[in-house]
Amino acid sequence: MIEVCDLCKAFTVRERRSTFALRASTRNVVAVDRVSFTAHDGEVTGLLGPNGAGKTTTLRMLSTLLTPDAGQARIDGADVASEQPRVRRSLGVLGDAKGLYWRLSARENIAYFGRLHGLAAPQAARRADQLIDELGLAALAERPTQGFSQGERMKVAIARALVHNPQTVLLDEPTNGLDIMATRSMRELIRGLRAAGKCVLFSSHIMQEVAALCDRIVIIDRGRVVFNGTPSEILAASGKRSLEDAFVQLIGSEEGLFA
Amino acid sequence: MTTVVEPTVATIHPTPKAADFSWARWLVVTQKEFTDLLRDRKSIFWALFAVAISGPLMVGLMYWLTTAVMDRVDKLTVPIVNAQFAPDLVRTIERQGMKIDADPPDYESRVKSGELDFALVVDTDFTESLAAGRPARITLITERSRDRSAPLAGRVSSVLNAWANQMGRERLILRGVSPVLAHPVQVEELDLATPEQRGSRLLQFMSFYALFAGLMGAIAAALDVTAGERERQTLEPLLTTPVTTLELTLGKWLAVTGINLIAVTTSLLGFVLSLHLVPLDRLGLPFTFGLAEYAGFMAVLTPFACMVPAVLLAFGAAGKTAKEAQSSLQMGVSLIGLLPLMSMVRQTRAPWWDAWVPVNGQYAVLNKVLRAETIATHEWAAMLAIPALIGVVALYALSRRLGDERMLAGR
Repeated sequence: MIEVCDLCKAFTVRERRSTFALRASTRNVVAVDRVSFTAHDGEVTGLLGPNGAGKTTTLRMLSTLLTPDAGQARIDGADVASEQPRVRRSLGVLGDAKGLYWRLSARENIAYFGRLHGLAAPQAARRADQLIDELGLAALAERPTQGFSQGERMKVAIARALVHNPQTVLLDEPTNGLDIMATRSMRELIRGLRAAGKCVLFSSHIMQEVAALCDRIVIIDRGRVVFNGTPSEILAASGKRSLEDAFVQLIGSEEGLFA
Repeated sequence: MTTVVEPTVATIHPTPKAADFSWARWLVVTQKEFTDLLRDRKSIFWALFAVAISGPLMVGLMYWLTTAVMDRVDKLTVPIVNAQFAPDLVRTIERQGMKIDADPPDYESRVKSGELDFALVVDTDFTESLAAGRPARITLITERSRDRSAPLAGRVSSVLNAWANQMGRERLILRGVSPVLAHPVQVEELDLATPEQRGSRLLQFMSFYALFAGLMGAIAAALDVTAGERERQTLEPLLTTPVTTLELTLGKWLAVTGINLIAVTTSLLGFVLSLHLVPLDRLGLPFTFGLAEYAGFMAVLTPFACMVPAVLLAFGAAGKTAKEAQSSLQMGVSLIGLLPLMSMVRQTRAPWWDAWVPVNGQYAVLNKVLRAETIATHEWAAMLAIPALIGVVALYALSRRLGDERMLAGR
């Protein structure tokens, strides 16, 4: 379970007027502004919002990469700021950066993260094999990941995030850049996680993606939560017939739809 | 429209940072980085090849140069113009095992162009002048700016001088004068350099190349595990696992140090092998690079080779991409390369603090090892303490940097 309460994060941006400007001016950008929501076990929660709304920053704070300026977030009761080791052990994260080690094989990439999560070598290898089978990567398992397609890379990255069988799974735009077939298999995988009783929080800027999967939707715009509820609650609250229209009305622009 | 979060019941159990360190994870990171680096066959091959080949190449080149000069001096042909006027000189030269090339055409232009290394011109009135006791003239035509001709001209010039002196002494004796009278002052030179030291002066560059190996061996690897990690976008996923930045730092450092030590060992082995294959005593070079010298070199270079990766990693992490980091590293590396050159050309004695300057201190002690001098305890202390200090500071900086939020936000 993920509990987020009044989470805030601001960045200082340094800007130069021109290449030769001596002085850089600094600007404070509020990325996340008092965001609160709860994601339950056995449910898929969607974090929906246009580009730059603060989805990635929120997920990075949840995955202990960034320290919140204010507010609290707990993963199964563990505070993300003060109990990092516990949080990291219970989380599986497919973050904004999904890079792999090019020269290592798919199996080695997955097993390495298993070892870092404290699995013994044979245990990590067994778990990697299991995930490779589940994700249909068997034919590629021994090849270096350098030549992999976008979808194959995403599968390895997801397997890497799930190698220690985490209770809570954070997915940052997991279908970005995938073709239809790969998107469908990613959806299957997320449904599988829900069926296994996991708490899944995934972010997307695509309404259809969220509508197809989520039990609960948190809509974020300019760092703030503008709606939190089930898909049917969104329709009821906005008085619109389709989720797409409701989304546009809630964020006050059509920006997110075409991004 | 926001919902209120449910109150949390769990209590906070803050874990102390030091207790998070896991030796097992450190070794897992080390093992992975080492495997990953060795998979980069091209970079590894060229880095090791460059340091391994530089030693043998240098020794080979030196050997070839010296033997070539010796061969040319041994099988010298002396071009003499008007040789018929100085039959004694011709006989003296031939007795030295040299051949005579009588009356070479266009000698001046051929000396100028380098076809001839030098030429001797005997004056036409040489015989008469010699018989009359007037200075009889022989001109040695050379081209001083040409390095390869200098030793040959020098050899002939010394033969000429010896012959002339001999003749002068005989004349004094014939007149009943002791030749000693003509030399009122006797100048003698006493060279304090032991034979090992004379030989090692030629191989001074060896210390330079050994340090060079300890520097170059780690560059590609250090860039790959720091800036490369950022460029491939693998740092962020890594930091969401329980691994701590200290474990990452030490793991990366140990892996790169391993590669660097391989480079240093390879480079020294290259030297040892080539020095054993080349018959140095044939060159009159009583230079040895035996087990004692090898051990001394390793004792100096091992702490150095452990320090360099730490510094390179700290710099490498500053770059967002490998290319960016490389350009900033290049300047640092060339500056470090200049340090020993400074002590090579320095005319005065090294100041006391020179031993504590990294690179310079190492260079000085390596030279002492080659010269078979005793190395003081405080010098050994500097060889250990300075790299240890710099290494710890660099690793601390790197571990702070890896955990810095800006590494992710400023991507």
